[in-house]
Amino acid sequence: MQPALELKRVRKTFGTTVAVEGMDLVVPRGALYGVIGPNGAGKTTCIRMIMSILFPDSGELSVLGRRSALEAKDRIGYLPEERGVYRKMKVGAFLIYMAQLKGLSAEDAASRAPKLLQEIGLPDVEGKRCEDLSKGMLQRVQFLGAIIHQPDLLILDEPFSGQDPVSVRILREQILREHRRGATVLLSTHVMAHAEEMCQHVVMIHQGRKVLDEAMSGLRRQFDPQTVYFEPLEANANPSGLSNVAGVARVESVDGTYRITLVPGTDPAIVMARLAAAVAPARVELARLRLEDVFVRIVADGPHGDAVTRALRASVTASSEGALA
Amino acid sequence: MKQSMRRIGLVAGREFLAAVMNKGFVIGLLIMPAIIAILVVVFPRLLNRNVPAVRGEVAVIDMTGQVAGGLRAALTPEAIAARRRDSAARALQNAPGVVRDAATNTPAMERAIGTPPQLTIVERPASTDLQREKQWLTETVAADGLRHLAVIVVQPDAVQAAPGSTKYGSYELFIPQNIDARLETELYDAIRESLVSARIQAHNLNRQEVEAVMNVRRAASVTVAVGGERQTNLAFNQALPFVFAGLLVFGIMIGGQTLLTQTVEEKSNRVIEVLLSAVSPIELMAGKILGQMAVSMLVLALYIGIGLFALMSFAMIGLLDPILILYLVLFFLISYLLFAAVFSAVGAAVNEMREAQSLMTPVMLMLMAPWMFATVIGREPNSTFSVALSFIPPVNTFAMMIRLGSATPPPTWQVLATMLVGLAAACVVTWFAAKVFKVGLLMHGKAPNMATLIRWARAA
Repeated sequence: MQPALELKRVRKTFGTTVAVEGMDLVVPRGALYGVIGPNGAGKTTCIRMIMSILFPDSGELSVLGRRSALEAKDRIGYLPEERGVYRKMKVGAFLIYMAQLKGLSAEDAASRAPKLLQEIGLPDVEGKRCEDLSKGMLQRVQFLGAIIHQPDLLILDEPFSGQDPVSVRILREQILREHRRGATVLLSTHVMAHAEEMCQHVVMIHQGRKVLDEAMSGLRRQFDPQTVYFEPLEANANPSGLSNVAGVARVESVDGTYRITLVPGTDPAIVMARLAAAVAPARVELARLRLEDVFVRIVADGPHGDAVTRALRASVTASSEGALA
Repeated sequence: MKQSMRRIGLVAGREFLAAVMNKGFVIGLLIMPAIIAILVVVFPRLLNRNVPAVRGEVAVIDMTGQVAGGLRAALTPEAIAARRRDSAARALQNAPGVVRDAATNTPAMERAIGTPPQLTIVERPASTDLQREKQWLTETVAADGLRHLAVIVVQPDAVQAAPGSTKYGSYELFIPQNIDARLETELYDAIRESLVSARIQAHNLNRQEVEAVMNVRRAASVTVAVGGERQTNLAFNQALPFVFAGLLVFGIMIGGQTLLTQTVEEKSNRVIEVLLSAVSPIELMAGKILGQMAVSMLVLALYIGIGLFALMSFAMIGLLDPILILYLVLFFLISYLLFAAVFSAVGAAVNEMREAQSLMTPVMLMLMAPWMFATVIGREPNSTFSVALSFIPPVNTFAMMIRLGSATPPPTWQVLATMLVGLAAACVVTWFAAKVFKVGLLMHGKAPNMATLIRWARAA
């Protein structure tokens, strides 16, 4: 079967600015892909090209087996980053209108809208005007507008931006549900933590180029964690026992827990067993790999200077902290 | 294709409902008839109600000694009221029978006549110093509240021509500042009346005979057409072209303005990209234009309906050639398409209404241009100028509509040619506008100028 989405050497410029360059991407059917990268990396431009709202300068594109999203509009659900509603329109009428534009009959649309609103936690808003809803509520309504016709491909550009934690959780559940239903999902976010929690596969874009295209499972393997957290069973245990273990490069104490950095190339599983043998543990844990670490590492390996890396780390960390707060 | 038509229909339906289902629309719809009602019913009442009768003194220096008496009689309140009643009846001569019958001898008529002024005639000897009399006019109002309203000087040869001449002398009229225009007219009428009387008397003529000789009743003309005869009504014929041109402009403004504001709003509140995931820009534009067209047609149908009802209730329906309404609809569709395409392109190009103003100025001028030419075309509907304008878009449809409404309608081939030229222009403009619309929708930032728009159209 043809992939849900395929981009080949896609390039897009705006004037003298190169927004996207040499973009290759294959999203198989039924996958849940995350496109990550800092603000201005080219994520939205990529998505707009996939949606045929913008057209690439060169390269090829196929969406659900068609040469353009225009030919498969009714099977795609799209939540743009710049999303709005008709402010004076009633919520129910807006959803029905969107569904009808996507090919649903008026009856089907009218029967689905209240059910979906119920499921997403907005049971009483159907008859309200859009302008009377809070921003978070509106975002959920807009999300429903993208899925009401049960699309085969769901494209979400920054679906979590400006959402409170409760809304984020509700939306995440709904996205996963669409994925379980069989929809291929492609979502973009500049908050790496979101992608990390949900996606099977991540694509990183930096300065218009793809810098990573990996399954989350493979990613963990490829970027071997080098840090182990160790909490001794007894508070007055001797930490020198830890630093003498073979394969340990450094031991730092943080609030009674030890942060242990391994010698590059060692198998963390073996070292963790040795650590547990050396000092009785309350907890031995491999530090979870964070996408932003991977990202920063990739960017640092590239032809950019330290300053760029530092700035990037700052921006990525700040935004993920903002989202988790 | 079928899908595309369905989506256009959906967009049009939403646009129509969004425009019609709000209070503003209903208010806007009623405001025109309301203004007319106010002008016709309320305004005259305000105007003539409680106007205190003018009271004052008129000085007469009668060099002939034969006029003052007549003048005194002609300026009595009764005589003035009688003259006012006469002139009102004359004004109604052109009105349809129903109106005339309804208006004569009613309270409304009495109100129109109003309270005649109470004038006191003060005769001065022929030897009076004119300068002093003029001074008298400027003096402040006397204690008894009588204003000094006029000084009339009847020249010595005003009743009998000077020996050796066939020309009569006349009179001089001096008035103070701030005198009521109606009073001035009434003074003229009264002086004329009394002078004519005095002259007739001086020549020993019979006044009634003279008046009978002079009186020729003006008959309403009958227009003979292939289909039959109908009563001509000059006022109606003169007004018709303007009414048609007005309806055309009005219809375009209703749809066009909403189209512009709606598109700007969709763009500024970012609903546009959501829409574009479901419909193509061209489908969106087509749907919007059609939806607003339906709104305009609804409004036009309503106003035409009111107009026809009014004509029918005044038994004047025969004055209107029904084919004109068909032409009005056709010309409306052509002009609307052209202007609507421009309105939607401007809406898509700008970020907010304020930026639309500079781009809209030339469009509004074009829409208003027919008004500047309307009188010229209406007066000479078949002049070279009028014919030429009928083939120059976008004023061609307006020019043709004015000509069609006039007393001498243009030949059919010209009407068809106007339609074809209009349609061709509408297609070209729509093609250009669609390109601007497509590019403009997702452009945010600096407000574009005309050059930018042309570049967009080239790039699209």
